[in-house]
Amino acid sequence: MDYSRAPLADRLAAEFVLGTLRGPARRRFDNLLPAHPALRAAVARWQDALVPLAASVKPVTPSPRVWKGIEERLFAERRAANETPSAPQRWWQTVLPWRAATGFATAAALALGVALTIPKPAQPPVLVVLAPSDAAASVALQNAKFVASVSADGRGLVLRPVDALAMDPQRALELWAVPGQGAPRSLGLVAADGATKVIRTELLRNTAAFAVSLEPAGGSPTGAPTGPIISVGKLDT
Amino acid sequence: MATSASSSAQRADALGALLARVSLGDRAAFATLYQQTAAHLLGVILRINTDRGQAEDLLQEIFVKIWGAAGSFDAQRAQPMTWLTSIARHRAIDSLRRRQTEPQWVTARASLDDGEDDDVLDQMPSEAAGPMELLGQAVQARAVGVCMKGLSGEQQQTLALAFYQGLSHSEVADQLRQPLGTVKSWVRRGLLSLRACLERAGAIDAVGV
Repeated sequence: MDYSRAPLADRLAAEFVLGTLRGPARRRFDNLLPAHPALRAAVARWQDALVPLAASVKPVTPSPRVWKGIEERLFAERRAANETPSAPQRWWQTVLPWRAATGFATAAALALGVALTIPKPAQPPVLVVLAPSDAAASVALQNAKFVASVSADGRGLVLRPVDALAMDPQRALELWAVPGQGAPRSLGLVAADGATKVIRTELLRNTAAFAVSLEPAGGSPTGAPTGPIISVGKLDT
Repeated sequence: MATSASSSAQRADALGALLARVSLGDRAAFATLYQQTAAHLLGVILRINTDRGQAEDLLQEIFVKIWGAAGSFDAQRAQPMTWLTSIARHRAIDSLRRRQTEPQWVTARASLDDGEDDDVLDQMPSEAAGPMELLGQAVQARAVGVCMKGLSGEQQQTLALAFYQGLSHSEVADQLRQPLGTVKSWVRRGLLSLRACLERAGAIDAVGV
């Protein structure tokens, strides 16, 4: 790191957060952020310092048209079927490209079939591929792909990362069963570099998708995902 | 004191959990997040862009952005309300590009000379709890409020005008009828002193540069 540049970057970050950095300089700085983690970290530190000043600002109730407008932009039924509003809905659809890679899925199933020690049910296991989310790249886990093989009776799941993931030792990966509505259910911590077996009773019931989040070591302290969701795989219905 | 800090931390956790569910496409969680935070964010935006119509349009854009960006929120790295408010302030400041061509925004405000600088300073977080706990920011807000009071009057004035009203250096200089260089120096030193105070208080992490 260039020592002489760090104080300047820090001062720009402070003025960016405060709001005194304006015009072309502000736009340039803003454009630099996605590619410069050190700058983003400096901005985050100044946000932690300054933004709580806003806690004393009196709230002003928005008029009802604001929420109506938000709903219309994001959720209106008259949208074309293939038009996706933004990132979260896109993730549900990231399963589609993976469906095309049937050879991959079969190989994965074979590999997992050997690893499974729960009794093979008469029905084939349900395979779910979890693809990396947009958030994964921001925590250097852009290769966060997993395959989950769930026994058809919903009593066992084996999760395996496609590539071993390099993890910060202070963080852990936690697996969630995500219902269509309501809070995700934790299925516990999962390995970043090998298979994890999860034994439950009804893994498939009321589950629309599986997701992996990045949590502190030991898992979420709150029972809900607290870190970025790095990988999501939707169950075919 | 301990009670309000822990209930504030619980609020922060609850907001973080909502953001995680939003990132998974949970519309009900998104509606709840809006109910709990939109009024606060509109208040913040209105102090920067005083046009109600523009401010409400900005609020709409901000929540559309939150829907898409919720997946990048990391509760280990940031406070939910800081994250949300930063998005709102950033958009509001960007909307001010147009303001330079509309001189009407300049209204009579307190200057350093007439002894009414308390107006702006009163706006800073005080010891009173309530709203700051609701937003999960009681501890951080009290810390920055205390640290601000440790700055010189001029530094507090300039930082408050820049932060709350989104004034640029030259706008602050016009407002206070002070030279531009003087204002820049107050801002720069004020920021450094503020952060040193927060680091000493353990409110933010010290950084080895």
